[in-house]
Amino acid sequence: MADITLEPVEDVEFPDDIHATSTGISNAKLAMWTYLASDCLLFGGLISTYMLYRNRPGEVPGIAGSPVRASELFNIPFTSMTSFILLMSSLTMVLAVNSVIRGDVQRMRLWLVATAALGGLFLGGQVFEFTEFVNEGLGFTANVSASSFYALTGFHGVHVAVGVLMLLSAVGYSMRKELNAEAVETLGLYWHFVDIVWVVIFAIVYLIP
Amino acid sequence: MSATIEELDDDSPVHPGEHHTHGPSDKQYFTIFWILVAITALEVSTYFWDVWFGEGSWPIAVALLLLLMVVKFWLIASFFMHLRFDSRLLTRIFYFGLATALAVYLVALTVMNIWTDNGNPWYNDPPPNVSPPTTAPPAGG
Repeated sequence: MADITLEPVEDVEFPDDIHATSTGISNAKLAMWTYLASDCLLFGGLISTYMLYRNRPGEVPGIAGSPVRASELFNIPFTSMTSFILLMSSLTMVLAVNSVIRGDVQRMRLWLVATAALGGLFLGGQVFEFTEFVNEGLGFTANVSASSFYALTGFHGVHVAVGVLMLLSAVGYSMRKELNAEAVETLGLYWHFVDIVWVVIFAIVYLIP
Repeated sequence: MSATIEELDDDSPVHPGEHHTHGPSDKQYFTIFWILVAITALEVSTYFWDVWFGEGSWPIAVALLLLLMVVKFWLIASFFMHLRFDSRLLTRIFYFGLATALAVYLVALTVMNIWTDNGNPWYNDPPPNVSPPTTAPPAGG
């Protein structure tokens, strides 16, 4: 059996002020990616539930309320616009990351605020869409089709809202202390994931008949 | 003897806490963005295919939509989320979660007959009408 010699860990050279990790990846970034991987399961469950119940309006008398399906009320041109807005917010997010890498903090703040504003615009669109549906008689408990639709898009909306809060917090933090590039990138990972989930929701929920 | 982090872990092109600087430039990000916009426009156009090309076009539209969705997903994950430029460990973690979710829910949906019963699993059918129990009149009343 061959002898295995291990080098002492003390000989590894690390940059100043950096904590070593065995993977070479910072804990924050690794944690964010692990969280995003687990979030795939959350959204997978919600999307599957919607797929299962999308054709289940309350058409049986006495069993459930409205016979209208959520998909009958979709306004595709409007939702396409909100999808474009969210896509644009991903662009502003990567521009913020590139700005902080270049050391241009002012521009980073500008792009972060732009990202948050676009996220807010997307949320406004979602509130408008929900209001229209409720006005058409399709509330959260109208039927299982509506409940699964609101649960899915609502959870996504909550993710966007949390992202907007984190973006604004990052801008506020950068006013007081230095915000390092990796923190902005980690925040960006969350934001892009929200966009990626919408890519799937837009195709599966809104566009596939 | 000393070693750098890169020598210890070939998967990690960056020091912990440091930021890699070899990601796409602003111009490249704009190019990717416009590709994503073009794909989205193509996706939206499929919604109107049944009007333009007839009802028979929807299977092609659905297949195209799924393909375009995957391409958009990959573009955002690879470039905007920097998976192409980061440690392969992160790619493995993320796609493992995604693959697990896909496998779990494909099995779940299959078990619930979604592919053969138009999403109407048998157990979700309306419950049968149950007549209220009859009670005997009180004695001596």
